[in-house]
Parts: sequence; structure tokens; C-alpha cells
Amino acid sequence: MSLNKEYINVLAKDLMFELSEDEVNDIIDEFDVLSQQLELLQSIDTSGVLEMIYPFEEETTFLREDEVVNVISQKDAISNAFKVKSGHILVPKVVK
Amino acid sequence: MGENVMLNEEIVLKRISDAYNFAKNVQEELNAMVTFVDYNDQLENMNMHKSGKMFGVPIVLKDNVNTKGIKTTASSKMLENYVPIYDATIVTKLKDAGAIIIGKSSMDELAMGGTNLTAATGSVKNPYDTNRMSGGSSGGSASLVGKGVVSMAIGSDTGDSIRKPAAFCGCVGLKPTYGRISRYGIIPYSSSLDHVGCFTSNVKDAAIALEVLAGRDDLDMTSSYEPVDNYSEFLSGDIKGKKIAILKNVTDNISNVDVLKCFNESIEKLKQQGAIVEEVILNEKLMLAILPTYYLIANCEATANHANLNGICYGNQVESQTSEQIMIKSRTNGFGPLIRKRFVIGSYGLFVENQEKLFKQAQKVRRLIVEEYDKVLKDFDFVCAPASASIAPLLDDKHLDQLSDEYLVAENHMIISNFTGYPSISVPMGFVDKMPVGINFTAHKFDEGNLLNLAYTHELCNDFKAMKAGN
Repeated sequence: MSLNKEYINVLAKDLMFELSEDEVNDIIDEFDVLSQQLELLQSIDTSGVLEMIYPFEEETTFLREDEVVNVISQKDAISNAFKVKSGHILVPKVVK
Repeated sequence: MGENVMLNEEIVLKRISDAYNFAKNVQEELNAMVTFVDYNDQLENMNMHKSGKMFGVPIVLKDNVNTKGIKTTASSKMLENYVPIYDATIVTKLKDAGAIIIGKSSMDELAMGGTNLTAATGSVKNPYDTNRMSGGSSGGSASLVGKGVVSMAIGSDTGDSIRKPAAFCGCVGLKPTYGRISRYGIIPYSSSLDHVGCFTSNVKDAAIALEVLAGRDDLDMTSSYEPVDNYSEFLSGDIKGKKIAILKNVTDNISNVDVLKCFNESIEKLKQQGAIVEEVILNEKLMLAILPTYYLIANCEATANHANLNGICYGNQVESQTSEQIMIKSRTNGFGPLIRKRFVIGSYGLFVENQEKLFKQAQKVRRLIVEEYDKVLKDFDFVCAPASASIAPLLDDKHLDQLSDEYLVAENHMIISNFTGYPSISVPMGFVDKMPVGINFTAHKFDEGNLLNLAYTHELCNDFKAMKAGN
């Protein structure tokens, strides 16, 4: 497995953040150890094994009653917003 | 805790103010608290909860527990101004039981770490030696209980994040069964591995805390309908005939002879109490794969869970011209370097070309590890091993060989209980170089009662109950 600078920057862009040159180099250095650990993982024969998603595989397929259980006020809803205008959360225009 | 009938208001108020002042006094030394909570509002309603099991008990919450009107940062710059508009279910339960919240404790950023060196407010120090780590990610809670500031603190445990710092800081650390305690209102890390639990200064307090915290919550779809036991009633000190399996893979890979000596002495005492103890060996290849399996699952799930921390949905916003630029700048500015690295690894595991060979492979290996563990546990009541191969590392320790069997197996075996979801507890087992070391016990799912009794019996055989750093 390899993880070069270009690939790391593609991943970072996908994650919506930027990395400094030093951080990219750190990741490459650390990936050397990680890739050896991942080789251990990949060397295990998992043919015919299903993925384990949660500790207990008990289905919860019931439907809830359509009841109002939690209502928040407008004041609460916007209390953590960075910018507010006329009782609405304000973000930059998406459609130009 | 649980002995409220004799307490008058004056004693309770003094206890709370003493704890608060103690926490303030040790803040410079330990750096364990993110936010001190003005508890006066809680005192106004205190008498309503006089019959509560935690009446007047000052407590601390890990800072990933949402508290209405109180800043909840998860030790991340991204959330440094976030003030929740609701209480996590466990906060409501604790308040109803009469507990008084005096602070929010430091943690590794977003709970993604095992050192507590990555908190936005700086590293947390070990109460036994401030040159050493508290461990993480629930390091602030562990440090404060280990110091004796509070007798109970909440933590969360995704990959030993309660049990390891408990061992390093000389306190009891309980991670109950997956689904036993509601996670509603806890800022998530990795949804298939996250558990809520507690630190206490003795096992009886852990039992009482669990009675308060456990139970079905319709607001958390992963919470269990399993009835909640009166866990304190299990604490008989009788473990005659109980079968304990020692994980030989772990003890064989520990090089510190003093840690092993403490462990062997603990085991001898349990045998004297009538426990039947045998060594078991799990498939070595699977044991070596614990850490990479965890690393992939946890980071992949975290990458998805924290996609909403973008400066618009949640978190500090850095102003810019477009929504996309706001998100990029906010996430670049808001997350520490370690978190961004972990997200890169998570994203790498989730990339289409890697998903099958990495993320899904990890989920399959998780099943194999759980099946291997179950093979052992079916013939035993408990599984046991030292909680760590060493004492708490120095703050600047960078010498660990991350490919050694000691690191991969002995230092990370407790992650198995996050894979299985089984209840697991670490309790003090002695001192090495004047630092506490811990022993870890794990039981069958929802068998917290017997697990606590084993830990309680261990405590009775040793004199670590009143252990507090500095005393």
C-alpha cells in the first residue's frame, strides 16, 4: 500500500480541510508503521465471514408512534448559529 | 454514595464546595478541567432529590456529555463556543439522583486518542506524577477521581478510554455492556464501539452509579431493554467456584516484571477466595490484529460522524465568501493535527478502492476476534489480564515500538470489549515505581452484577480502596 502526497491531498480535499506540508509528511511517515499493521489485518483469511457492524445483532424493526416528543424553541434553535437574520440562520448564497 | 439518609444539608453543601474548591486548587497542577460549573442553580432543586442514590454527591462529566446551558467542547477548538440546548439522558438521570455537577473534564480531542495530550486546553497530568500522562481519552475524569477531588466522574470508552486511564490514575473504571447506558446527548466518536461509563474511587460506588445510569432510553436506539439489576446487592465478596480465564497472550507479552508480580499476587488472592483460575491462549494472529482492526473501524466511523462539524451545522465558523470555503476553513482551523490525520486514515479506509480490503476486512476480522473470545468465555465467568503493560508513560514518551507484540497485544487487548460490547472493569492492583497499576476483568454481556462482585472481592483482598494520589 502506498500513500503519496497527491493522494493525501485528495483525501483532505474530500474531507474539506487543508493540511500543511509538515502534516502531509507526518502522515506519510506514520503510514509506514500503519501499513505494516494493516498488512497483519489483511493477512487474515476472512472468506465466508460476514462484516460485524454492531456488537449485538438484534434487529429493532418496530415502528414508533407518530407523536411529538421533543420541540425546541426558535430561540434555542438559533442559539449556536454564527450569523442570524430575522430569526433565521444566515449562510452565504449557494445559488448565484 | 447511596448513604443519603444520615446527611444533613450543611454537610452536603460543605462536601460540594470542598470538592469544587479542591478542583480549582489542583487545576494548575493537573489541568484536568475544561469548564468549572457554577452549581448554585442545582442546589436550589437539590432537596427534591433527597432520596436519590447520589444525593449531594459532587461529580464531573467528561466534556463530550451535552449539558444544557453549559459549554460542551469535547476538548476541541471546533466546539469551544458550543452551548447545548439540551441535557444528555445521563445528565437528567444523575440530576434526578441528586448528583451535583461541578465541572466538565478534559479529554483527548473528540475522544480520539489514548493519551489526553491532544485536548485543546493542553495535556492532562497524572495525579501521582505530573510528569506522566493521565491516559485518555477520558483523562480529566480519571485524574480528578485519582486525586480524590470527586468520588465519581463520567467517561466514555471507545477503545479502553475509561479502563486504561483508570489504571494509570489509580481508580476504578467501569465500561458496562454496549447499550446498558444511554448515549443520547454524548458527542459520538465511533458509533459501533462507543460506550458510556464511570470512574469511581471504589467498586461499591461504581455499582451505585451504574444503578443510576443504566436503562432503556427511547432516545437512543442502541440502548437495551434488558432489566437493570440492583448491582450493589451483588457485592457479597463471595466468588467461590467462579471461573476466571487469564489471557496468556497478554501476560506473555509484558516485559515489566513488577507489573506481572502485582498481577500474580492479585490472582493468588482471588484463588484464596475460591476462584478457579486457568490460563488461556487466543489465536495470536487475531490478537495482533486488534489494534489495526480498531484503528480502521474507529477512524472510518469517526470520519462520517464528524462530517457535521463544518462551521455551519456545528462548530466555530471561520468567515468566508462561499459555504464550501467556510467549511474548509472552519474544519482546517477547528481540528487539531492529530484529528485531521485520523480523518485522513478514515477516509482512506472508506475510499471506494480500499473499502473492501480495509474497512470491510476490519469489520470481518472484528467478527473473528469476537468469535475467538466467545470460545473462551463460554467455559468461564470472567476473563482477566493486566490493564496495561506498564505504568503511565511520561508526557514526552515517544519510544514505544508500535509494531511490537507488547504494544499490539498487551497494551491494547482491552479494545476487545469494545468489539464484543461485554462489560469490563479496571481496578487498582498495586504500585510499580510509586505509580498505580490496574487489573482488568471482563464478564458475559449484561452480567455487570457478577463482574462488580469480582472487582469488589479483589478490592476486599487489597487495600487500594482509599487510594488517593498525594495521600
